[in-house]
Amino acid sequence: MASITAPMGGETRSIPAPSPRIADYLRWSIDHKIIGVQYIVTSLFFFVIGGALAMLIRWELLTPTLDLATNGSQYNSLFTLHGTVMIFLWVIPMMAGFGNYLVPLMLGAKDMAFPWLNAFAFWLIPPAGILLLLGWFIGPPEAGWTSYPPLSTLYSPDGQTLWAMALHLLGISSILGAINFIVTIRNMRPEGMGYWQMPLFVWAVLATAIIQVLATPFLTGALTLLILDRVAGTSFFDPSNGGDVLLWQNVFWFYSHPAVYIMILPGFGMVSEVLATHARKPIFGYRAIALSSMAIALVGFTVWAHHMFTALQPELRIPFMITSMIIAVPTGIKIFSWLGTLWGGKIHFTTAMLFALGFLSMFVIGGISGVMLASVPVDIHVHDTYFVVSHFHFVLFGGSVFLIYSGLYHWFPKITGRLLDERLGKLHFVLTYVSFFFTFFPQHIAGLEGMPRRIAVYDPMYTNINQLISFSAFVLGITTFILLYNLVHSLVAGERVGANPWRSLTLEWATTSPPPPYNFVGDPVPFEDPYGYGTEEATAYLDALDRRFPPPTKLPPTAAVPHPEPAGD
Amino acid sequence: MSEMSLEHAAAHAEHHNVPSPQTISNAKLAMWLYLASEVVIFATLIAVYLIFRSNYPEEVKTVHRELGLVLVSINTFVLLTSSWAMVMGLREAQKNNSQGLVRWIGLTALLGAAFVGLQGVEYTELAHAGISIGTEFGMRFYAPTAFHGAHVIVGVLWALRVAARGRKGYFNAQNFLGVEIFGLYWHFVDVVWLFLFTIIYLI
Repeated sequence: MASITAPMGGETRSIPAPSPRIADYLRWSIDHKIIGVQYIVTSLFFFVIGGALAMLIRWELLTPTLDLATNGSQYNSLFTLHGTVMIFLWVIPMMAGFGNYLVPLMLGAKDMAFPWLNAFAFWLIPPAGILLLLGWFIGPPEAGWTSYPPLSTLYSPDGQTLWAMALHLLGISSILGAINFIVTIRNMRPEGMGYWQMPLFVWAVLATAIIQVLATPFLTGALTLLILDRVAGTSFFDPSNGGDVLLWQNVFWFYSHPAVYIMILPGFGMVSEVLATHARKPIFGYRAIALSSMAIALVGFTVWAHHMFTALQPELRIPFMITSMIIAVPTGIKIFSWLGTLWGGKIHFTTAMLFALGFLSMFVIGGISGVMLASVPVDIHVHDTYFVVSHFHFVLFGGSVFLIYSGLYHWFPKITGRLLDERLGKLHFVLTYVSFFFTFFPQHIAGLEGMPRRIAVYDPMYTNINQLISFSAFVLGITTFILLYNLVHSLVAGERVGANPWRSLTLEWATTSPPPPYNFVGDPVPFEDPYGYGTEEATAYLDALDRRFPPPTKLPPTAAVPHPEPAGD
Repeated sequence: MSEMSLEHAAAHAEHHNVPSPQTISNAKLAMWLYLASEVVIFATLIAVYLIFRSNYPEEVKTVHRELGLVLVSINTFVLLTSSWAMVMGLREAQKNNSQGLVRWIGLTALLGAAFVGLQGVEYTELAHAGISIGTEFGMRFYAPTAFHGAHVIVGVLWALRVAARGRKGYFNAQNFLGVEIFGLYWHFVDVVWLFLFTIIYLI
């Protein structure tokens, strides 16, 4: 029988229990696992800041008049910083954190290809975050996260310059990280793992990294010109001096549309892992999912002008409408493949699975409103209204953030050796799911009724719906603290688990939790099919894994928190 | 099946532990990817110039008369020569000749520095002619050329480092990857200049 039945080759000596200390996480380290955790914790910190800004926005919008802000400019700063923090300091670094932690483990490698570069890329993020937030004190940026000139050149105070510098640093960090991922994935796969045996998360990171290498430099170029305009007296974006405002919009969206896939593709990878593992079923359409990531990466470069339907020459609208609708196809392929994975599976309703299912339902709503926005007549009607706000929160919160939550519940045991509390997790899920829906779904209606985005003072006819949105948003804000409490609580008191609590077939589980400094003692052997659940070989492999890394015995049975036993592989 | 022993797994793993064949080294692949992202940045800056060029051809022609081609042609020649010196340096490394390597890479650095110096001379002349960074042509001219100049400066510093390591005998016929990687960067900077020279000065 040529099949692989045990995970480890050669070494049989026991692995010393790793004991990373907190201090290791606070200083320069070239261990990809420490860097991964540094990314994750840093971005959680910025998530709280971005969330607090969102709460202030919703507080302001409780009534049609000015409540919190003394003028419109202050409100402008609130949503500018909220958007920038959430995108560039929460979602993107969080995905990079998962990538850093998991990709070398999934490849059975000891570390990334360039450990030093990896650490350097991370350490660009804290100074960037500080620069951005310092802007608050010297006159915060007011031009929105898209920072269109002339708002960002002629009207925004000095904080806008710091904003541009911060994004510059984050862009460089992103490019360096992506180069590292591509080289690692291409050159450090173990023997027996071709591209078509890679876990889908690795595929997703590869597609993301390709976008980052080729799209982020557009942002770098645009920001360079913006900074020159602000400090060096050029006028690239000033039409009164021979410049062109549309130049910014074109170049910015040429980065930022692909960037929305930077924010979601790694999550698509994560959900593929979670669904197959917790439904105990081979992933449906492995190649379709892998290739559709690549298709999204490619087509993502051809749709940028759909952000500019109202600004662009009318004859360019139809071509961009067509490409924007085409990009829904590979995403649809993924959605149906995931549904196919669930079909007939033994679904374990763990919190990771619940968030993955929550993602499927909510992301589809965001996808549908995306296709609506791609069609020119609808877009012109709802342009710059809350319909747009609703759409991108459905794909970013209902998409990326749900997937991040799912990933945290799924991989926390690997990172810490302890489970996240499942009861708290379910509470977290239910409250998040409901309050998320009532925060963002009514925004569709407000938008269709004509409520513009980015305003602090609105027509009193929108009062009721805004109060519903705000109160739901406050609940949604509170749910974050359930997760944060769970993370801290479970870190010290969570149920201890062995190497592979979910009985997953990918390689990151074929070592202790948490893994030792160089990940594996001996060279791990990948199971021939990372999603080959439900076969005798898979059961044999997983049993051998349990014998190799025996799960901790639950001595005081009362201390053990019940969690679903994933039986039957 | 489920009682398969770990010894079997070990034997099985034997033939699995051969390191993956790599057709391109990590460092070289990373450099190519880095250069790909650089291409995008330069393309953005060049596009900004080209849009202006096609909208205001007359204005650009006036500036062209101002600029002249003598100085910049000499400068282009200097940079091309430096790429040749770079190639020769790599050849010496492959022939195990550290001294030759240091000499040629030193020449590369010298020519690179000369390029930056001549660019400085040209900038001064242009400033005298009233073409500052605040003018419509000026900003679109200085942004890409100065960005390129910054790349040349980085390249010169890098060349000096390669030369210093070469002096210590770090490179030889088996180990010349460091020279090759620098070469990729240096040739890239050279090629970008050929684009800038053609697009900004010639057409």
